Amino acid sequence: MKHDISALMDGELFEDEAETLLGQIRRDPGIYADWAVYHLIGDVLRQPECIHRDMTDRVSERLRNEATVLAPRSRALKQKARVFALSAAASLMAVGMVAWMTLQINPETAPQLAMQQSGMRPVNLQIQPAANDYLMAHQEFSPSNDMNGGASYIHTVTYSPEEKLQ
Amino acid sequence: MKAWVGVFGLMLAFNASAAGGQSTLDLLKAIAFAGHQTDYSGVFVYQYGNHVETSRISHIVDQNGGYEKLEGLDGPRREIIRHRGQVWCYRQNEMVQVDSGKGGGKFPMLLPDQLSALSENYKVREVGTDRVAGHETRVLLFQPRDRLRYTRKVWVDTGTGLLLKSAVLNDKNQIVEQYAFTELKVGKDADRSWIASDEVKNLPGLGQVSQDKTEPAVNSGWVVDAMPGGFRKTTELVRPMHGNHAPVTQLVFSDGLSAISVFVEPASPGDDEKEGLSSRGAVNLYSKIVDGHVYHVVGEVPPITVIQVLNSIRYNGK
Repeated sequence: MKHDISALMDGELFEDEAETLLGQIRRDPGIYADWAVYHLIGDVLRQPECIHRDMTDRVSERLRNEATVLAPRSRALKQKARVFALSAAASLMAVGMVAWMTLQINPETAPQLAMQQSGMRPVNLQIQPAANDYLMAHQEFSPSNDMNGGASYIHTVTYSPEEKLQ
Repeated sequence: MKAWVGVFGLMLAFNASAAGGQSTLDLLKAIAFAGHQTDYSGVFVYQYGNHVETSRISHIVDQNGGYEKLEGLDGPRREIIRHRGQVWCYRQNEMVQVDSGKGGGKFPMLLPDQLSALSENYKVREVGTDRVAGHETRVLLFQPRDRLRYTRKVWVDTGTGLLLKSAVLNDKNQIVEQYAFTELKVGKDADRSWIASDEVKNLPGLGQVSQDKTEPAVNSGWVVDAMPGGFRKTTELVRPMHGNHAPVTQLVFSDGLSAISVFVEPASPGDDEKEGLSSRGAVNLYSKIVDGHVYHVVGEVPPITVIQVLNSIRYNGK
């Protein structure tokens, strides 16, 4: 199962396999926990500035504390600033939590969302034969002609196995 | 005969640069000279990712200039012929002219400008000797000064100065693509029969090169704000493109070794399917529709570079 989750995260599963597995993740809290841990591991390995963690309890606790500072105070400005900062921090965490919960509810939409946001197809996509004209036009003026001679035109005559005969 | 004189001249230059420890720039000139003036034919293997294919190349210089043919030996028939700046490509059962008509590629090669750009943007050094296709070679490494371009490694034939092997490496030192000759014939042994063939004689538009040198430089108004340092604009033109495209504006930038082309054209229905990043060996292509125009950025540079360039295209005209 763990191997499957890993494969899913690497995008190595076929669509039907992925859907089956995502269904299991939704239904089984144990598998779901594995899924979450794998993402946490991935996040840590990528060394981002912040890491997703389930912080529901801590945020709730902070929010409970918030309630007590609603009454006006005659303390110094410094204190107010600190309170404001604290509530801002709590709000940020709340946003983080909402985002995390959205992921919990609908894990399979996350990759699609990420793809839409970046507006890009996966990097490993091959240049389509339809774009050959641009490669040819580029090659005409590339200095690689000087260094590699005619062999530099290889990019424009190479073919992909899935390419159909024109 | 003429070609042999060329080869001898080159061998002298090449050996002089080797023996005297002259600047690597002399060596680069020798490589470019060999590529353009030597008669050779051979077979090479090209590889990127898990893709491997074999191609045959032939380059012959006669009194009419250089003739060059590149043909794929695997899969569907693919072929390119070049002659004095003209380029033909095999498409739908015939040879079709595909160059811009502006004489690209026929200019003197490795101009001083280009050489100085190259040594500014890459650290060039000799890293040893090796044998390729039975020939002794010297190995040169071109290390870029930043991560916005690839590292190159080339194996240069000690005798002729021809490149017998070439590899492109990324910043993790992984091979992005490489090609290597498996068979090479030089001088009078090179296959030259094809330049007198009907196929060459019947090339459409053969010899009809625009002689109009007074054509004013194009100023399309399109600019790139975030071109990586060291890339200079070498060409700007409005060109026809094969197929149903409207004339396309093309800007070419070069750092002496690699080039980035920026194409701008009016968007038409269905163009959104072309959007995105794709690659073929060391060549990356990034396409995007912005305000009714399609931008295509192509270059022998890493994906991050074509993306950076495309995202900084701007119209600065009237």
